[in-house]
Amino acid sequence: MGTYELTFDGSTTLLAALQPLAGAYALSVGPRRTATIAYLDTADRRLRKRGLTLSYERSAGTGALVLVDADGARTVTPLRQAPTLPALVDALPAGQVRDLVADAMWIRAVAPVARSKRSSRQVAVLNADQKTVVRLEWVESSAVEPVQAPMPPRVEIRPLRGYDRDGDAASRLLLSANGAGGFRPAESTAYDDLLRLAPAAAARPSLEPGMPADLAVATALLGFLDDLEANVEGTIDDVDTEFLHDLRVAVRRTRSLVKLAGDVLPARLVARCGPGFKWLGDLTTPTRDLDVYQLEMPKLSASLAAGDPADLRPFAAFLHQQRTFEWRKLVRGLKTQRFATLCASWRSGLAAIGGAGRTVDELAVERVGQTFKRVLRKARAITPDSPSEDVHALRKRGKELRYALEVFGPLRGADATKEVIKDLKLVQDTLGEFQDGEVQAAALRDFAGRMPNPPAVTLLAMGELAAGFAAQQRKARAELTDRLAAYLGGRTQARIKALLS
Amino acid sequence: MRVVASYNVKGGVGKTSAAVNLAYLAARDGRRTLLWDLDPQGAATYLFRVRPRVKGGSGKLVAGSRAIAAGLKGTDFDGLDLLPADFTYRNMDIDLSHEKKSTRVLRRLLDGVADEFDLVFLDTPPSLSLVSENVLHAADVVLVPIIPTVLAVRTYDQLVDFVDSFDGRRPRVHGFFSMVDRRKTLHREIIGTLPADRPDVSATGIPALSAVEQMAVHRAPLPTFAPHSPATRAYEQLWRELVPLL
Repeated sequence: MGTYELTFDGSTTLLAALQPLAGAYALSVGPRRTATIAYLDTADRRLRKRGLTLSYERSAGTGALVLVDADGARTVTPLRQAPTLPALVDALPAGQVRDLVADAMWIRAVAPVARSKRSSRQVAVLNADQKTVVRLEWVESSAVEPVQAPMPPRVEIRPLRGYDRDGDAASRLLLSANGAGGFRPAESTAYDDLLRLAPAAAARPSLEPGMPADLAVATALLGFLDDLEANVEGTIDDVDTEFLHDLRVAVRRTRSLVKLAGDVLPARLVARCGPGFKWLGDLTTPTRDLDVYQLEMPKLSASLAAGDPADLRPFAAFLHQQRTFEWRKLVRGLKTQRFATLCASWRSGLAAIGGAGRTVDELAVERVGQTFKRVLRKARAITPDSPSEDVHALRKRGKELRYALEVFGPLRGADATKEVIKDLKLVQDTLGEFQDGEVQAAALRDFAGRMPNPPAVTLLAMGELAAGFAAQQRKARAELTDRLAAYLGGRTQARIKALLS
Repeated sequence: MRVVASYNVKGGVGKTSAAVNLAYLAARDGRRTLLWDLDPQGAATYLFRVRPRVKGGSGKLVAGSRAIAAGLKGTDFDGLDLLPADFTYRNMDIDLSHEKKSTRVLRRLLDGVADEFDLVFLDTPPSLSLVSENVLHAADVVLVPIIPTVLAVRTYDQLVDFVDSFDGRRPRVHGFFSMVDRRKTLHREIIGTLPADRPDVSATGIPALSAVEQMAVHRAPLPTFAPHSPATRAYEQLWRELVPLL
């Protein structure tokens, strides 16, 4: 069943615009309805990437969540009250729409990204039996956000099931009679048009072959700073846990790149700001660790064999309380002058770099090569009996290599870089399992010691979790050397060599 | 997907009115609803202003060579689709008899639209036939309009006995009073006593009002043009009784 959307370029009344249908059909025009529409998406536009358009539509005190999928199918969940936004999936009102967006939303919150006001009238197109065969919706709307602007009227043509021919005919009649200055097929959705009204973000400068090395490193670091700053507000507002995660990734990338190639930057700038990023990393760690625990709680509860998931409730409540405490400390930190000065000073220092000396290509080959050698050296020294510290050190070096490849790799070939990063990711996963097992088990002991009067069943269940983490670490340890050999072996080395040659 | 059949062996007892109005009320409640007009006379189809024709007719539909979904028509009401009647339905008995497990064919056909609908209403022809037997095997609930007379009650009992004789899955049979004339002593007596003795018979009675007959004039479900009629209220009450049985 085809739905057509036409836009109307002229300015006339609805009935005059629809006059071309009058010869073949009778029209029954419904009352005018007004609504406000807030289009919702996650900060990283996860719904849009999957072709989903989610909106909260409200008219005359009632509201509904409306989802239009990539095929144009529309699902509506009527609401008794307005949703509180931003909202994680569990906080969205229950119904079909929530079920359909749950997977795409993942652990991210949706919030309004554009708003419009709409005035619409439904028109029933009737055949000779006075039966509705097509529904038209004549929509006049104006953008409210990102900017205020009127938008051209639209007509949506929805044939009723079994009456597709009438839908085709109605569309043809409107298009043919109003070829110029009238109807034309809509080439984009109303949502697309709204988003296009947003002021275009300045394009981020990219690293180019032949660039001076200092300018290239500064450019990459400015990109990380943009990412960092873009996630501060969401972290402070506690919209979802990914804001803090992305903020930390930006900090880690910054610190890694400074460590790898900071020597091409002015020494005073690095000396002034470097410690600030260490402070920022440390400031964010406790909240992120607790976020990870909370996110994993459903999986951890389900993993219990002897204990009951309900046994962990006091532990979950303790984690929640601790997380709130640490998050408040984090927010205080992000609101300090120290943080504002760090970002401003770093930005102005990087922006002042003019570009001199050798090219980024030479630097890329040298630094990626050095980092890979360090990773290989550490990996070769790992045995099933290696101390945990050595494994952790290898993981850190591995992350540095990954960041170096992400920054410099595309200069040497985007596809080849992707392949190397893929292998590296598998190594990191194994190292992560090893480290997580140990860190989580240690954290559980710490939590158990700090919980006030924990019930015995809770401690028992936590003990069971700790045993599970220990088993995970043992398993990861047993697999470690084989995996390192497989993913850092001849094939990966050859790929890196080809990348750097 | 649940299937409700509006069935009685007798004609002119309010089967179509019940099927049309209850299907409309179900859709109004937000249930994705289908009404299948199985009666070759096509009264329900007429009421929804749809032309009575299914491409390929009963033969292709029953043989499965034309899917139910291809014949569906949207009604004027959101969430309510219709599979119209076709004059070839008068031969449906013969078409059904050619199929394997000939009493289970309609249920099998409806499985093809199970993902699309929450509720299916079957408006059935007045007969005791292979079509009727298919309807009874396809339905989860059989709604039986009973005119409050002794003979009608006896017919209802016969139907209950017949359904009880089924092997395996049996539909729930639920009677309600139809074309009730409260001026008649017999009507009042039967309505006053039978539901107390028979939990499967509702005390709800659809009054014999001209508003019900007006459906054919307005060609629309009763609640759309007579929302405050006692007959509308009776159908709404019947719908509320039906919900827990689904």
